Amino acid sequence: MTRPADFPPPFDAREFVAEPTDPVEERIEVGVLVVGAGPAGLACAIRFGQLLEENPEVAERLGDVPLAVLEKGRQPGSHLLSGAIVNPRSLRTLLGDDTLADMPSYGPVPKESVYLLTGTRALPVPPPPTMRNHGNVIVSLSDVGRWLSGRAEDGGAMILPETTAQMLLVTDGRVVGVRTGDKGRGSTGVALGNFEPGSDIVAQVTVLAEGTQGHLTGVALDQFDLRGPDPQVWELGVKEVWKVPQKLDRIIHTMGWPLRPQAKYREFGGSFVYPMGDGMLSIGMVVGLDYRDPTLSPHDLLQELKSHPKIRPLLEGGERLEWGAKTIPGGGFHALPKRLHAPGLLFCGDGAGMVNIPTLKGVHYAIEAGRLAAETAFAAFTRADESPTALASYDDAVRSGFIGKDLYEVRDMRGAFGRGFVVGAACAGAMSLSRGRINIGRMRTDADDAHALLPIDRPVEHPTHDGAFTFDRLSSVFAAGNKTRDDQPNHIRIQPRVPADVAQLWAHLCPAQVYTVGAAGDDGLVTVDIEPSNCVQCGAISAKGGRLTPPEGGSGPEYLLS
Amino acid sequence: MSVLVFLEHHDGELTKGSLGVLAHAVALGDGDVSAVAVGRGPLTVLAAAAGKFGAAKVYIAADDSFEAPLPQPRVDVLHEVVRTGGYDTVLFSNSVLAADVAAGLAARLDAGLNWDLVDLVLDNGTLVGKRPALQDSVLVDVGWRSSHRLALFRSGSFDAVATGGEARVEDLSVQVQEHSRGARIVSQRLQLNEGPSIEDAEVIVAGGIGLGAAENFALAEDLAAVLGGAVGATRAVVYKGWYPHSAQVGQTGKTVTPKLYIALGISGAVQHKVGMQNSKVIVAINKDPNAPIFEFSDLAVVGDVHTILPELIELLRARKSSS
Repeated sequence: MTRPADFPPPFDAREFVAEPTDPVEERIEVGVLVVGAGPAGLACAIRFGQLLEENPEVAERLGDVPLAVLEKGRQPGSHLLSGAIVNPRSLRTLLGDDTLADMPSYGPVPKESVYLLTGTRALPVPPPPTMRNHGNVIVSLSDVGRWLSGRAEDGGAMILPETTAQMLLVTDGRVVGVRTGDKGRGSTGVALGNFEPGSDIVAQVTVLAEGTQGHLTGVALDQFDLRGPDPQVWELGVKEVWKVPQKLDRIIHTMGWPLRPQAKYREFGGSFVYPMGDGMLSIGMVVGLDYRDPTLSPHDLLQELKSHPKIRPLLEGGERLEWGAKTIPGGGFHALPKRLHAPGLLFCGDGAGMVNIPTLKGVHYAIEAGRLAAETAFAAFTRADESPTALASYDDAVRSGFIGKDLYEVRDMRGAFGRGFVVGAACAGAMSLSRGRINIGRMRTDADDAHALLPIDRPVEHPTHDGAFTFDRLSSVFAAGNKTRDDQPNHIRIQPRVPADVAQLWAHLCPAQVYTVGAAGDDGLVTVDIEPSNCVQCGAISAKGGRLTPPEGGSGPEYLLS
Repeated sequence: MSVLVFLEHHDGELTKGSLGVLAHAVALGDGDVSAVAVGRGPLTVLAAAAGKFGAAKVYIAADDSFEAPLPQPRVDVLHEVVRTGGYDTVLFSNSVLAADVAAGLAARLDAGLNWDLVDLVLDNGTLVGKRPALQDSVLVDVGWRSSHRLALFRSGSFDAVATGGEARVEDLSVQVQEHSRGARIVSQRLQLNEGPSIEDAEVIVAGGIGLGAAENFALAEDLAAVLGGAVGATRAVVYKGWYPHSAQVGQTGKTVTPKLYIALGISGAVQHKVGMQNSKVIVAINKDPNAPIFEFSDLAVVGDVHTILPELIELLRARKSSS
């Protein structure tokens, strides 16, 4: 039986670790360098700005640019996608109630319903304790990201959009910044007329807040041997934002159909429908990437879900406004890195796996981790401490705070679902009701790409799409705002020739239609054709046997409502 | 401030770009503007033309040795003019040659050169350049710290507005330095594109994956040739390497609006549609009757391009030869 892991991508973390190479006078020097303008990175920037304002004498020591934020999207928020229902506690701590009142939001969660779906029916089930959302708010995360970046800039942060962090700069075992990616290369790598080489940005402290499947986060975890006891695993979320004529009066979560309950399929996941004010809603499908059927297509499952008699009426008369996809780290507590710091380096948010899958929440952990990272870096500057352990207190702050406590409580819940949905749900319920005191025992999760693929037997072909209610993948990539320059080097590492079932897996998995199954050779392998500029950088390929690296800065989706 | 403008010329005419820069320098209104033309003589016609665009004085360095468009001899001439004429500001309109000359002169004078400017203004007597940044989303102000100020403008930055006038002409004889004679032009070629480019074409024949193979683009080329049109391609075939990127039509390629757009084996993904939907008449040939392209074509032909095209080409050829 084939496992995607048996066909690893041509990728070596050491390719992306280097000493600074620019002449000293050309290096860009900053105090703190944050990689990623998401909730974690921007929270770090905001908190650091607050601390500098209170302590101007420290600011003086940090030079012209005390803090810079790199963002690979066209603007902060371009690559942010979530449900999103956010627990506001960390935002409140970071910004205070007065500022928080100005944050773009669709208000508090109204009523909530959970359904177990079959192909034709919807059985209401009482919301499990982890899924009660009283007091949380509904937002568009890309919108919130843009707003937070404004607050960060007000506080003095320098934000550099369309800039990727390509290489980790390491000198004598200490992270000293990153090298940004080149721009203006052609598909063969040749420098085009508008070529701009990357530059070395050197920093006293580098904060990796890259989000899910972070490129340098992965590189740094390998470089410093920090991978956690369990491998990280991911879910893939595909969502759409709709303009609808009727107001939805509740948030809805579903389990079951169109996923199959039998344990052998390992189909873990569910859907969400959240109102966005009076005239919009957000609908998404989340699927665990440890599934084994090579023809499973998360994008088509979302299309299928929309046709369910419980769901379809919610969208009737409406119009799709936006589409997007992103992975979610689901490994939880056991997959956290061994340490959340290395010399000169801190890890925050989704990149480090700070997500609570049973509650479907991670944004407030990202913000809290970003805040703690800023405080840790600031404390080290105040002490003028440049020792290798200068940032060690960050680990204690994260693990003894609510991030560590929450993740510990639900530490084995995701693993339970490997036993099938019904058993898994029962175990998860018991664990969460007892706040982690009842625990069915540690179930080591295998990496997503370590599960053998099943023979191709999915009975139904995906429905054809009418372009009005259900959509093919290519028009969905368009609806993500993706207009990536085509003539640039391929940023996706996969083995170019693989067994047919692995190629099928990639072709169906990718919601952006990057991969197509090519010609078969005499050796039983097929080629995989790729169109990298379709990529919306969801990260699913990295979970299933490939490796995403950053394309040219400014590439990828332009999420506005997601 | 005393300004000198480098005049570039081809086939006995000054380029629009250098005239635009000259006219703008004159319009700044801060004293007389001079210009310099270098090339094979006679160049007096150019001097007269420059006068019409406001040059008060035109230096002419005419010599057979200046015929080849090489930068270093021109740097020598400009250096000499700047030195003897006391100019502190030298302006260029961007071209391959002008960029080289500007860079060489900057090195010679140890002067600052602001590159890729789109405007130049006087702000309380200080010269301020405007340069687009961040993918042209903002304009940044740039200045000079050196005593000599050099600027290279993006082509098309200024309209060349003739104000009328006559320039004093000063002939120069500049001794070109030994090291400036090191390079020579081996050959010069003009690239002529056959047929119209896809941006200009009135007829475009575009091929998609449905053509089946790179060599089948010959059919598209034949059809384009007989219709006097250009060949376009979808992103998918450009990815496969069947056709060059320069022919790509669509969201991330070119946007075209021909009178007739013939789509061969193109499914009509929205990424392609946005690049050609404003064509006047769209004809689509595709095997798949459900292909989205049929929803926005004026004439839908359901069939195999490989059987239809050869016949169509033959019919058109026959009609062409009989008329």
